[in-house]
Amino acid sequence: MSALNTRPPAAMRLAIHAVVYAAAATMLLPFLWMVATSLKTASAANQPPTLGTLIPTDPQWGNYAEAVRAAGLMQFYKMSIGVAVVTTLLAVAHNALAGYAFAKLRFAGKRILFGVTLATMMLPAQVFFIFAYVICSKLGYVDDFRGLVVPFLASGFGVFYMRQAITAVPNALIEAARLDGMTDGAIFWVIIRPIVWPAIAALGIFTFMNSWNSFFWPLIIIDSNENKTLPLAIAELAAGKYVQSWPVVMAAATILVVPLIVVFFLAQGAFIRGVALSGMKE
Amino acid sequence: MNHNASAYRLIAFPLAVLMVFTLVPTVLGMGLSVFEWGGGADAPRYVGLAHFRAMAGDETMRHALVNTLGYVALSVPPTILLAFLLAVAVDADWFVGKAVVRATIFMPTIVSIVAIGFVWRWVLDDQAGLLNWGLRAVGVADPPNWLIDGRWPMAWIILVAVWRGVGFCLVLYLAALSSINRNLYEAAAIDGASRSQILRFITWPSVRPMTVFLVITSVIAALQVFDLVYIMTPGRENQYTTVLNLYLYRQFAEFANFGYAAAIGIVIFAITLVFTAVQLGWVRWRGGAA
Repeated sequence: MSALNTRPPAAMRLAIHAVVYAAAATMLLPFLWMVATSLKTASAANQPPTLGTLIPTDPQWGNYAEAVRAAGLMQFYKMSIGVAVVTTLLAVAHNALAGYAFAKLRFAGKRILFGVTLATMMLPAQVFFIFAYVICSKLGYVDDFRGLVVPFLASGFGVFYMRQAITAVPNALIEAARLDGMTDGAIFWVIIRPIVWPAIAALGIFTFMNSWNSFFWPLIIIDSNENKTLPLAIAELAAGKYVQSWPVVMAAATILVVPLIVVFFLAQGAFIRGVALSGMKE
Repeated sequence: MNHNASAYRLIAFPLAVLMVFTLVPTVLGMGLSVFEWGGGADAPRYVGLAHFRAMAGDETMRHALVNTLGYVALSVPPTILLAFLLAVAVDADWFVGKAVVRATIFMPTIVSIVAIGFVWRWVLDDQAGLLNWGLRAVGVADPPNWLIDGRWPMAWIILVAVWRGVGFCLVLYLAALSSINRNLYEAAAIDGASRSQILRFITWPSVRPMTVFLVITSVIAALQVFDLVYIMTPGRENQYTTVLNLYLYRQFAEFANFGYAAAIGIVIFAITLVFTAVQLGWVRWRGGAA
């Protein structure tokens, strides 16, 4: 429903479609160019392209094998997946349980502790990252898997978001469960979790994407090659660290980027809800 | 009934994480801005407001500030306006392929900015890039080296930021548009309002809360720009491309000026607070006047 629902003339409708589809096409173009380059020979990629060579006629699939071997891509993949999966599972669980406590339980100091939790949402990363790094180095988290995970296992935003979702669950359900002798853990798992599942899924996707795409913090805390995550690897690929041949670099970039794009198109509704959530955070 | 013990068990770990990695580091970081410290074993040295005074005469800091503000001013308004117009078009009843267009335009949002910058670097490559190939093909003999020459790199960084940011705003605008009361349009059409009048006097004001939200959050995000500039400046940023967060990073990671970095962090935070306060104040004032 919009202002354009008073049906404009056919020519205008056509023009609007053309403009919107052109805009959408620019979203795909750079990625298609990346894939096209990844299938060229090194010499073809270094020459200015011509219409004839825009789409490679003799696709060099070997570039992909070369990229995996030379750049050691699987290591970065393993690291990124490990960090994102562990962070997401543990962070969502902790944020949801804390959200449950703040939404439904009574305890001394609740207002103050919740205020503190909210306040952390507004604190500037530009200021706190310095001592977050110093503290991580004291804990032995520098250049370590734990340094990429532990600081993200709770977030003011996540706790706040889950608390808002859980507040809507009827108290009568919880009281009834309590009369049946259920513990708080059981109440959360059996009663709360199914009801707030959409919120949990949205927070999960949001947390996963944040972890997967995180760049600044890994750049600071990771030194050695075997602990690097994908974004760090891409930055180094761009600087020509692992391989110099452009088609191989592009094959590597394709391997790093395209799977996520495919997953996105398969589950775009869930992704859009999860990422749209990030708007509430910034 | 007393549920104290159980509640504390549930919140203990999350609060500890927030305390150790956010709250305490913020307090210490604020304090650090009046010290000089390299992060080593030697004790921090108190220097008062010397870092903030030094900033006034620091030419790179001035470039970073100007570039950051320019980036905010030139990337945020086009992103939001473009997203609004696209959303209105995609939302129309007669628009064909709504879901596909929405997903496609949103897609770059889920790709990491580092990967986005990387792909664009290749498109903009001087010799083998798609853009210069196209320009040469249509007879431009000597196209600029986009990522190197003068102000072009920042122009492209802004363009890529708009390109990537539009999908996110589009999705939120579509949500806002779907909740506008249909009767408003019909009433306006019956009163003889033109399509552009409806767009301007009904649609745009109706999504104003979303616009306010998008402007404020986008400005905050744009003030923190880092990844895109880092990746799209081959070799290194220069006076036309450096931004506040990048300068802070260099002071921290390369020069180990932890105190100066903290002071820059406070300046970025202060600018963010002022921008947000001014925008919220303006919204309230406009809301009262309108």
